[in-house]
Amino acid sequence: MESQQAAYELSDRDREIYGWQLDVPGLGERGQAKLRSSTALISRVGGLGGPLALSLAAAGIGKLILVHGGELRPDDLNRQILMRHDYLGKKRVDAAAETLRQFNPHIEVETVAENFNEDNAADLVARADIVFDAAPLFEERFLMNRECVAQRKPLIDCAMFNMEGQVIPIVPGETACLACLYPEVPEHWKRRFPVVGAVSAVIANIGAIEGIKLLAGMSGVSLNRLIYFDTLVMKLQKVEIARNPDCEICGEL
Amino acid sequence: MTLTMDYTGQLASVTGVAEEQVEVGEGECLLDVLKARLAVHGEKFGELLFDDEGGIRSTLLVVLDGEQATGDKASVSLSGVKVVMLMTPIAGG
Repeated sequence: MESQQAAYELSDRDREIYGWQLDVPGLGERGQAKLRSSTALISRVGGLGGPLALSLAAAGIGKLILVHGGELRPDDLNRQILMRHDYLGKKRVDAAAETLRQFNPHIEVETVAENFNEDNAADLVARADIVFDAAPLFEERFLMNRECVAQRKPLIDCAMFNMEGQVIPIVPGETACLACLYPEVPEHWKRRFPVVGAVSAVIANIGAIEGIKLLAGMSGVSLNRLIYFDTLVMKLQKVEIARNPDCEICGEL
Repeated sequence: MTLTMDYTGQLASVTGVAEEQVEVGEGECLLDVLKARLAVHGEKFGELLFDDEGGIRSTLLVVLDGEQATGDKASVSLSGVKVVMLMTPIAGG
């Protein structure tokens, strides 16, 4: 994770704000400087992407690019914790950005008021050091995966359903990519799925932790592992996954 | 031998259980076991597991004792395996 991160000197204000995490073994001033100089793209800032973005803002990631189309609806509000009731009918991404800027005015927040698509994918990924996938549709996820593999950018794939969730840290060329695991769009996945906001937030924060470790150069990133968490029975499991040598997306890396 | 079957995602929803114990005969492969479970859990369970040709769906993750099964999932040997975890794809946000 050295390639696009510019050199960054921590300021006194940085040391004051992030002091408690500078003491984390393996993070320190060097890791924090990497976080401050990093750009993270979050695709969708709803139930998963919202708390994920909040944790990245708290950690002091230098720039967040929030990608999410559409306007806030009442049935978003059980889980999309960056939103507010007085934003109903307005752009979700504007509400998310306002919350994040108020929470941490010392980071840059850019908004893209449309979802990840064929037209914007290459440009968006090119501008980020890391991509966090919190989208509800596999078509969007596969597009993100394809573009991240093409540009050799790490992708943290976060997903949830019901009281469960999973996180897959993807480093192109080193780990299985999303298409290694799912070679086609799953026929039975539906746009509407059961969700409790607290479960989304837990899974989002596992994704945020994996991304922070990657960006800061810390050890312990769960490479070639799918992190699965069933919050109903509080079972956390790491599943060993493998690259598919015949994968159409990453097989030739 | 007794095998623990773990179901996640939509499979857990349609079966109503996250885990069950099943008896597996000597030499039975994964496809044999899943077809036997189909008789218990019904059509929706089968739709999540099998494609139109009756093979195991390419998008179903099969995990044997914590490790993803690769290659031909249908014929995978269960000899010595204690836990089979079946994971349907999820993407909720």
